[in-house]
Amino acid sequence: MKARKVTSMLCALALSVVALAGCASGAINSAQGQAAAPAEQERTEAAPAEEAAPAEETAAADENAPEGDPIRLGTIYAMSGGNAAIGANILRGIDFAVAEINAKGGVLGRPLEVVRGDHAGDPATGKSEAERLITQEHVDLMMGCHMSTVTEVVAQVCQQYGVPMITAISTLDRLTDADHEDMDYFFRLCPLNSVYVEDMLKYLKDSTEQTGEEIKTIAIFTDRAAIGQELIRCVNLFKDEYGLELVAEVDYTSNATDLSAQVLALKDANPDAILCDSYIGDATLFVQTLKAQNYSPKMIVAKANGFTDPSFITNLGSIANGVASVVEFNPDLTNGVEINEEFNKEFGVDMNGHSAESYTVVWIFKTAIEAAGSVEGEAVKEALTNLDIQGEFPGGRKIVLPYDRIKFENYELAGEPHYRDNTYASVAIAQIQDGAWKTVWPFNFTETKIAYPAPLE
Amino acid sequence: MSTFLQACVNGLLMGGFYSLMGMGQNVIFGVMKIVNFCHGEMLMVGMYLTFVLYTFFGIDPYLSVPIVAVVMFLFGALIQHTLITPSLGTKSFTNLLFLTVGLGLLLSNGALVIFGSTYYTINTPYSQTYINLGPVTMALPRLISFGVLVVISSALFAFLKYTTTGKQIRAVSQNPVGAEVVGINVKSIYILTYGIGVALAGVAGSLLTGFYTIFPTAGASFGFRALIVVVVGGLGSIPGAFLAGIFLGLLETMVALFISPSYSDLIVFVTFIVILVVRQTIIARRR
Repeated sequence: MKARKVTSMLCALALSVVALAGCASGAINSAQGQAAAPAEQERTEAAPAEEAAPAEETAAADENAPEGDPIRLGTIYAMSGGNAAIGANILRGIDFAVAEINAKGGVLGRPLEVVRGDHAGDPATGKSEAERLITQEHVDLMMGCHMSTVTEVVAQVCQQYGVPMITAISTLDRLTDADHEDMDYFFRLCPLNSVYVEDMLKYLKDSTEQTGEEIKTIAIFTDRAAIGQELIRCVNLFKDEYGLELVAEVDYTSNATDLSAQVLALKDANPDAILCDSYIGDATLFVQTLKAQNYSPKMIVAKANGFTDPSFITNLGSIANGVASVVEFNPDLTNGVEINEEFNKEFGVDMNGHSAESYTVVWIFKTAIEAAGSVEGEAVKEALTNLDIQGEFPGGRKIVLPYDRIKFENYELAGEPHYRDNTYASVAIAQIQDGAWKTVWPFNFTETKIAYPAPLE
Repeated sequence: MSTFLQACVNGLLMGGFYSLMGMGQNVIFGVMKIVNFCHGEMLMVGMYLTFVLYTFFGIDPYLSVPIVAVVMFLFGALIQHTLITPSLGTKSFTNLLFLTVGLGLLLSNGALVIFGSTYYTINTPYSQTYINLGPVTMALPRLISFGVLVVISSALFAFLKYTTTGKQIRAVSQNPVGAEVVGINVKSIYILTYGIGVALAGVAGSLLTGFYTIFPTAGASFGFRALIVVVVGGLGSIPGAFLAGIFLGLLETMVALFISPSYSDLIVFVTFIVILVVRQTIIARRR
């Protein structure tokens, strides 16, 4: 009996060893293969971020080198865990702006210095990191975070210590609603979730100008999870204002095994345009199923997520052509071409929405500090409240995002009061044409025309 | 009408996969009376295996079906021999429950470590080929897959019904003690059955790659449906599982067509519970 136990344990051990060996060789194989080994991808992505630090030093060694105590800019993003790749993109944007500003003589003659915190995707960690950066590292300013729930907690800490904070990318509407009226050290650059959807509807209306056909009816195709509920909520907020009739709401459970029933329902409703929000697996299956069910909607506009995942185009190939999506930035934006070239030279990857928005926030801080004439929390807060940037930053570039003015204001959105949001923020719409994302809206930020009806081939 | 026909075809094509998954699960359950909770993950392993064969060796997904079947059979046999057989002796259901659930977690996280969370697809020259039959459109990969799985199901029926080994498997499933008494090696039958069950899941995964995305948790939704198929089709019954799979596929599309796609999961699970309750009542009355 004992002997049997021992043998079976040995066998189990052997099995796990075999499994582990399989892991190792698999990893090597996939790294060698053409199929974008994710591990390797991450490595190459992460490497330039590490090189960013020496780049700063060389910039600081320039003749313009600012002197004096550095102004300390705290950042709290995920640098470890599942969202580390997103954090890396954000930090590239920040490093790029800081290097640029320091090369031009810094802020008030002082260099900018980035002090990095890591929230690893967890609000509690975010809170302790914020406290550490403020009380131990003595940061003067704060940027963060990716993931609105973490941003909310960090903003509270900043409010408590009187440290001005700007979020570049947290889009949750709630962050600036009536409950947060008193959080006057917190500002938001990016558009709100509902503004994303409002811009999708604006795009549908504006598209008539190029396509000659008016969009009257829309359908929603989305995940039953939170992202879908949010899309449905926002569309209902604005659809009447834009004179659109919602003819079908079609949903499914994440990682669906089959979407043909959903596609048939859409085909039956025959809307002029389909708005969607899905994770990558379902987004891929959706377009494949459209083809399989012989249905070619004239217009598909997605709220990013899976549709803008790099593997969307890789996996679908030409049948993805014509799918449009909201983007915060695209390298072909008229104001973005130049910076993207320099950025790509520095880091070896294109600037994305997150890096562009973070880049912009660093410049906002610079402008505000110079207007305030000090880095003292309250003075910078006042300067941010009165800030109005039109077209370009003083001593810097044109705004690289798809809008030309930045001003933090209190206002009403769909009947709800909001505080200290950049009311001029807008997204762009890009469409997949010839296998690449091309900006098609706002019309004054691009020369590419909308491909209509969406070819899907 | 054309929508109805299209929905029927869609249901049938999808139902075939649920059948294949359900039959694999049922072979295992029939013989060992254990529920294989990592059945969905075995499908996922089959998908990645096909993906690797295609990407690194250029083997067409359909040609790799036999390879996947053999590899998965050996994998299943190894797991049965080293992990499940020793646990069967303990007569503890929870032990096996945790074992198969844990194995499932191990496999999906293993895939995450090796391949990352990227979603892959296999694009063959015929992936984007569609066949129009009157009002009905079918994607060629789905049609081929359905054909292959009908062949596999028939082969499985024949194997269990007419071969000596098949008869031995059925004997063990009816009465393991009796089978042992007449000289059947029950342990090897267990290994064989688990291997077959896992191979069926792997083959289903392999066939899916023609039109489905490959990711570490791809098996979960299919594994869950396999459980429904097993329960609806009758525990241990292979033809029952085949029909139940087709029924499930049709039910999903019909509910979506006549009620709303939002309710299709809800109604599927309600039907599942109703069938369970009704069957329980009938069995209780018979006694």
